[in-house]
Amino acid sequence: MKSFEFFEPTTLAEASRLFAEEHAQLLAGGTDLVIGMKALTETPQSVISLQKIPGLAGITTETDNSISIGATTKVREVELSADIQQHHTALAEGAAEIGSIQIRNLATIGGNIAHASPAADTVAGLLVADAQVDIASADGERTVPINELFTGPGQTVLTPGEIITRFRLPSPASGSHYIKHKIREVMDLAFIGVAAAVNLDNGTITDARIGLAAVAPTPIRATEAEDLLKGNAPTPALLEQAGEAAAAASSPISDLRCSAEHRREMVDVLTRQTLQQALERASG
Amino acid sequence: MSEYTVVGQTVARVDAVEKVTGAAQYGADVHPPGMLYGKLVRSKHAHANIRSIDTSEAEKLPGVRAIITQDDVPSGRRVFATDKVLYLGEPLAAVAATDPDIAEEAAELIKIDYEVLPVVQDVMESIKPSAPRLHGDDTKDGPNRREISGQIRKLSRDKENDHSGEISKLEAELEAYPDEVYYNISAESHTEAGDVEKGFAESDVVVEDTYVIPRVHQTYMEPHVSVASADSSGKVTVWASTQGPFAIRSGIAGTLGIPLTQINVIGTTMGGGFGGRFGVIITHVPAVLLSQKTGRPVRVQMTREEEFTDGRPAPGCVIKLKTGATNDGRILAREALAFWDSGSVSGASIGSTIRVRGVYKIPNLKISAYGVHTNKSGTAAYRAPGAPQAIFAGESQLDEIAERIGMDPVKFRLMNMREEGDTVPAGGEEPKVGYKETLEAVADAAGWWDREAGENQGWGVAVGDWTNGCGPGGVYVSVHEDGSARIFHGSMDITGTDTAISQIIAEILTVPYESVTIRRGDTDSAPYSTGSGGSVVTFTMGNTAKLAAEDAHRRVLELASERLNTNVDNLELKDGEVHIISAEPPKSISLGELAAYSLSTTGGPIVGKGSFARQASTPALAAQIAKVEVDPSTGRTRVLKLVASQDVGFAINPMAVEGQIEGGTVQGYAWAMMEEMQYDENGNVNPGFVDYRVPTSADLPTVESVIVEVPAPNGPYGAKGVGEPPITPTLATMANAVKDAIGVRITELPIKPEKVVQALKSNGHSV
Repeated sequence: MKSFEFFEPTTLAEASRLFAEEHAQLLAGGTDLVIGMKALTETPQSVISLQKIPGLAGITTETDNSISIGATTKVREVELSADIQQHHTALAEGAAEIGSIQIRNLATIGGNIAHASPAADTVAGLLVADAQVDIASADGERTVPINELFTGPGQTVLTPGEIITRFRLPSPASGSHYIKHKIREVMDLAFIGVAAAVNLDNGTITDARIGLAAVAPTPIRATEAEDLLKGNAPTPALLEQAGEAAAAASSPISDLRCSAEHRREMVDVLTRQTLQQALERASG
Repeated sequence: MSEYTVVGQTVARVDAVEKVTGAAQYGADVHPPGMLYGKLVRSKHAHANIRSIDTSEAEKLPGVRAIITQDDVPSGRRVFATDKVLYLGEPLAAVAATDPDIAEEAAELIKIDYEVLPVVQDVMESIKPSAPRLHGDDTKDGPNRREISGQIRKLSRDKENDHSGEISKLEAELEAYPDEVYYNISAESHTEAGDVEKGFAESDVVVEDTYVIPRVHQTYMEPHVSVASADSSGKVTVWASTQGPFAIRSGIAGTLGIPLTQINVIGTTMGGGFGGRFGVIITHVPAVLLSQKTGRPVRVQMTREEEFTDGRPAPGCVIKLKTGATNDGRILAREALAFWDSGSVSGASIGSTIRVRGVYKIPNLKISAYGVHTNKSGTAAYRAPGAPQAIFAGESQLDEIAERIGMDPVKFRLMNMREEGDTVPAGGEEPKVGYKETLEAVADAAGWWDREAGENQGWGVAVGDWTNGCGPGGVYVSVHEDGSARIFHGSMDITGTDTAISQIIAEILTVPYESVTIRRGDTDSAPYSTGSGGSVVTFTMGNTAKLAAEDAHRRVLELASERLNTNVDNLELKDGEVHIISAEPPKSISLGELAAYSLSTTGGPIVGKGSFARQASTPALAAQIAKVEVDPSTGRTRVLKLVASQDVGFAINPMAVEGQIEGGTVQGYAWAMMEEMQYDENGNVNPGFVDYRVPTSADLPTVESVIVEVPAPNGPYGAKGVGEPPITPTLATMANAVKDAIGVRITELPIKPEKVVQALKSNGHSV
């Protein structure tokens, strides 16, 4: 590890000012950053801890069941939150897929998102929750919808000094689910991740959202597939069309984990399976 | 009820407390005063000529104390690459610095000018004439071509009989193999028994397939580490995490030209070995060289990434296998042609191709095996070296035959298994081994005979054989005035062998296990001991310990005879006391009293010595059954049941034996389902546990172990080596279970979801 300066600011403004400098990195849980620093793929000159800034962690639920998750909330807390399990099952399931319990007790949801890995396990759940991402800097605050946050692998719309402070999840869908395609039962990275959230009204799908991870340079929504579903009754044929549309929306790569062809096929298969599960939850 | 009181019982390991409390000293815990940190400078290309190595920038970095290259190896033996590198990560130099980060930075500052060369990673590409040659002209004729040519020459020389018909037939055969000339060959091995062509001709069913097994790493938890300290007198001390301190001593002596007994190797607690911890060059030699140059102790410790790029893993291989059998289930012939991926040097366990013969009466057998160079690091042993690969091919194909002739896979195996006195194809006479007992035991325990399988579920069975090694060892045992016994020896504890040795001594001296303690010496103090690999330790050191305890036992009776004024024939040692047999009233004297008395005798203290080197070993069998469920839509396989039986001869410590069975089976499962070192033209591309997957406990149900005991005539209490056999059948067990579940045979490991989906599609399934 290269040597670096370490800061523990107590205000967001101070953190933002430090973070706006060149070669600065934010430290939340450190489960990505520290590994990168040890491997010399990250060589920050200054590391700014978010630990001492009040109000950045915690989950709050409003009366309309909208939920707000602070950026430095531990992934384990997201996984175990009864409200998230109930209203945003896909997000809780995604959180439960990250690393080991020890890792999840350190890692933060903000870190998982800000790292901008296309394979992040919480991202598909946030996509189908239509999460709004609150961002703060020394210059003020702004909000970006999660599906507009990412610009490429490891790349976001965040400008120097901007810090994610919270994720706001509007009123929930009635059923959601996340499936991760992997080899190992636990502690594996997503070969692909698929989340679906649906609302059902009298047997008709009134709203459907599909989030895909690790099948494109950024996490994506499969909007064509969503449009096919909306206003229709869920039939096996419809789900099959949705799976195909989601696969068509993906642009996966071949790498050492598997081929692009397999990833695309699995988007099709798992979109169907995820939707099926989400629909069962919505009607249950 | 066993006739024994300590052996055959589950006891806590002698090192349990120090392991659990963290008190055990591993290599990285060794930190002599003034220690420097060594770092190897490694090639960034998989195949390249080296134009120059410039260390000048690195030398200027404050804290750097030494930089060495091949020029600093006085013996000239190759430690570092000089003009050419053959794999990514091959060492070119080493740095010693006051801090690990400085050493790492210095390593990065060394400028190496490469001329990049074409790379070959696939053995089947490497044997082609178009492949880049790694070591000049390593070329071999193919087996068929060479042998047929030989036969033609032989027949042509025989002028008296007209062989023109036979010759033209052979020439036609030769035509069929016009390209069988292999390149980049590092070694070869050929075995033949009977006449395979005749065997295939007489067979009703002949199956031929190509099996591909990946290179896998031993993935011991502790990466390679050594600390070396050379003093001004030339004496070298090495703390080494190794399976064989004496082999390391002779290895360092041979490589660096240091007198043997000027080197003291201290074996540190081993964080797993599995056969991969014998190599002398990897860290030990660079550490010694750096210490000699700086006059300070130096630690060289590999990272996990370095383990993957420059460890010595198990070789992958490609095996073309052909088997012929009759419709009533007799195997008549088997032929194998194997290409083992030896990496940049020779050394792959190609001789293990013989394991395709299994434990069956195969009258006609023919095996040709080649080691093939590729741009990877060399290989080393991994738990029954070569056997899991060969047995994967052999046992996969047996199931294909069983299916074609409509015979139950267990019955088919039982019917063909060798029995005592049978001829082992290309290998002498079969001793008494529990082949059938072991297979029957696993079938009964797993519920094979009334097995049920739901949709996409399947059952697989396979067996694997292995014979433990044997080697020299020495043990001393002393009895103290408090009646306790202390053992002194020099073999590294692996998988609880110190515990087994202690149990044997306690048994013979009739003292409680708790009153026996065991100490390991270094190579300066302890008698020579063979390395702890090849399942040798309990067999070798158990026999040695037995001899030492028996020697002490003799001295005990001798002392008692003096004290009790009776002939030794009237005495017996029991429960830590020597009794006069059937004396009335009873008369006895304790071991402690005898030890105290011994101190004032002419004969002196009670010291037993055991020294042992060779005895014939007996084969062991591992038999396993798995039940799996495959999700045909995603290709993921879940293990529902995994049962493993093993003929262990005699289980000295049953819980430790079960631990070995479970551990080996899980490693076999991992090789079958997920482990694979992946390479591209740049070298290893998955040098870490993110993309080199080893299973966690969540991937498997508890392995059910079944111990079978058919004693080995020369083993201590009949014990056989237990460490290696359990990994041998699991690869095939898994592949056979997957085949039973989905009807498609996977011949290329690991059985990853993508492969299953592809196989199903090629078989006409839609996802």
